[in-house]
Amino acid sequence: MRRRTFGTLAASAALTAAAPRLAASQPRRGGDAVVAIVQPPPSLDAQITTAQAARDITLHIYETLYARDENARPVPELATGVTVSGDGKTYVFPIRDGVKFHNGKPLDSADVVASLERYRKIGGSAALLAAVDTVRASGTHEVTITLKSVQSTFLDNLSSPRAPIAIYPASEAAKPANQIEFIGTGPFRFVEYKPDSHVKIARYDGYSPNPGATGRDGFAGKKEALLDTVTFRFMTEAGPRNAALEAGEVHLVESVDGPVAKRMGANKSYTVYKALPFGFQVIKFNHAFGVTGDVNFRLAVQSALDMEEIMSLSFPDIYQMDGAWVYPGSPFHTSQGTERYNKTDAAAAKALLAKSAYKGEELTFITDPLRSDVDTATMVQEQLKAIGVTVKISVADWPTVSKIGFTPTGWHFWTHGFGIEPYEGPASVMAPWVGGASQQKADAEVDRLYAALNAELDETKRKAIFAQFQARFYEQAIAMKAGNYGNFQVATARLKGFTPYRIPRMWGVWLDQA
Amino acid sequence: MAFYLAKRLGGMLLVLVLVSLLSFGIIWLVPGDPTSAFLDASATAEQATRLRHELGLDQPLWQQMVAWYGRLLHGDLGRSILLRRSVSVAILERLPVTLSLTALALAFAGLVGVAAGTLAATLQNRWPDQAIMAAALLGLSVPDFWLGLMLILLFAVQLGFVPTGGFVPFGESPSGWFRSIALPAATLALVQVGFIARMTRAAVLDVLHQDFIRTAAAKGLGRARVILCHALPNAAVPILTVVGIVAGAMLGGAVIVEQVFSIPGVGRLIVGAVLSRDYPVIQGGLLFLAAIYLTVNLAVDLLYAVADPRVRLE
Repeated sequence: MRRRTFGTLAASAALTAAAPRLAASQPRRGGDAVVAIVQPPPSLDAQITTAQAARDITLHIYETLYARDENARPVPELATGVTVSGDGKTYVFPIRDGVKFHNGKPLDSADVVASLERYRKIGGSAALLAAVDTVRASGTHEVTITLKSVQSTFLDNLSSPRAPIAIYPASEAAKPANQIEFIGTGPFRFVEYKPDSHVKIARYDGYSPNPGATGRDGFAGKKEALLDTVTFRFMTEAGPRNAALEAGEVHLVESVDGPVAKRMGANKSYTVYKALPFGFQVIKFNHAFGVTGDVNFRLAVQSALDMEEIMSLSFPDIYQMDGAWVYPGSPFHTSQGTERYNKTDAAAAKALLAKSAYKGEELTFITDPLRSDVDTATMVQEQLKAIGVTVKISVADWPTVSKIGFTPTGWHFWTHGFGIEPYEGPASVMAPWVGGASQQKADAEVDRLYAALNAELDETKRKAIFAQFQARFYEQAIAMKAGNYGNFQVATARLKGFTPYRIPRMWGVWLDQA
Repeated sequence: MAFYLAKRLGGMLLVLVLVSLLSFGIIWLVPGDPTSAFLDASATAEQATRLRHELGLDQPLWQQMVAWYGRLLHGDLGRSILLRRSVSVAILERLPVTLSLTALALAFAGLVGVAAGTLAATLQNRWPDQAIMAAALLGLSVPDFWLGLMLILLFAVQLGFVPTGGFVPFGESPSGWFRSIALPAATLALVQVGFIARMTRAAVLDVLHQDFIRTAAAKGLGRARVILCHALPNAAVPILTVVGIVAGAMLGGAVIVEQVFSIPGVGRLIVGAVLSRDYPVIQGGLLFLAAIYLTVNLAVDLLYAVADPRVRLE
């Protein structure tokens, strides 16, 4: 069996741009860049949704107190820094002076307090602020947050782009979910939203750049908008998306398949970008339903699967074999437990199966229709057939699958991507398994380790805790990671200054003359 | 006539009530709710519950049903959960797009289909007849999404005559509107041309074997006049029926075509609503489409009397 290992990823921890042609042209202002995104955003109220399609757009419009840098570390954005009290429970954030919202209103601490309070009530990922006790304005440009208990990941949470803790004007923050005017402080302002068609944003000429920033740096850093406007077109079908790029109507396609990327990469008119790793392919077990609750059965499955075969078919030309539950390059990356990853040992699998409660019954593998997820399910089905396990695949749309997958009956296996969690860091990778939320039955050790990680301020000790978590995952086969997958993005060669990241960032990007 | 109309309108009302009940029942039986559009797989049950409350989805089903019918009686289809506007407004915004698409497609399919079918009938069993029928069968067999993609590749990517997708309102640019709608309308029409052609051929052939056609030819009328002035009008009723069916089918086909060409019409609205479980839009959209379908059917039935004076609507 071939096995590739990846040690470290260079400076950019989360993403790599593979062979983009260097921009020879000089940055220039003007133009309308059209980006084809694969789904319409459910809302442009950034706080209430964790959808990638919303992030693609909202992170151009809104900003947060802290944001993630290129290596996904939290750095100041609308705050100028933070002072943390000795007991680790009080955070004082000075707010940048001179920042103006798109409606001209100057940013002050009242806006920050109102936005944080709104998020605590209706935020799409309100758990990020669950440790907060109080939020108060301690000056016109200073906000003080006190925590109920020490939380080592508080700045990570505050800067999370998952459902961004966007800062709105206080007047908007007083409004219910999905009822706000789209007013932020970002380098682009909202222009129009045509449902089922597109969202248009325009350069905000009153933008106040972060004075400490020198270059593009993740979601933080220098955000220089060069384009007059950016249009995000919602194009759900892959064929028309690619055709629109070839016809010159679209400048960037957010996601294309491997074969298309290969074909377009051979043409000098296009630049192919490779965002790798972009996510994990995760295969979940339902611990509360039938034989997948039996650890011997889960270990048998873990031993049987050839993860490289699964990844190479599900994500041709854009995958990494890596058993760690954070991305390569993360300070928390460890090989602990990974000796059980991608073993493909049929004899060991059969021995474990014999010790398990499996009696030949048909098991249910649920998946949404995304090709890579269906391919993963199909490969698991075929590979398990070889050790005598019968699996039935049940494909349904995302709302149906996600509803079933969070109930304790009706499914044994479920596969989908984990993208934002490993980007955010170890606590976010651990959180979905706490209390049995994803596996439907709590694992006391996982819960204990998660609590310990949150309470531990010493990074060395936190690394050790995460290593224990990863070891626990493999020892108990709580869930399986197939590997890291990436995302091909293709742009017209006229689009310059683009580097792939978690969203198609359009600041620092310009269009060459046709 | 008045009695017939009242009876039909009563029947339509009954069908619409059934459709509304069915749409309400089915979507509430299907797993998932709009929170899945807002939250990803890592969201906890607590987050979903909070959002469900925020969106007003945690009320008992009967309460939501009573509220929906209450609003419906006032002509209010409710408010979209995702689109931040009323369902009626969302539909009315998109209606011109879908109507112009289907109207253009219907006009194209009707004209070409009737002409091809009539030509095939008049040249029965000769090579043009066989060629037209073979082409009709091919058109009927081709899936519209595949045909759409092929037309995009040829006319938009290779030849650059039209855009690959999107929609330009007529008021913004009439030529832009035509360019944006031409390919989708052709896709929608080409699939149906074959159906209309085959049915027209059969209807015209039936008439051509009637005595009055022989009489018309015997008194010295030209072939073209016999066909156009005597055969075709007498074959109008079955052709009208087919065109009515095709109009309904096109409303269904528009759902696919709007997806392929990224056209913001009613079909795309409903598909998006189904995928995101935007309940008010699904319910309102289905009711609206059913109402259009029933209206088209009623219009076709009323036109029978216009096309054939022997028909009495009682």
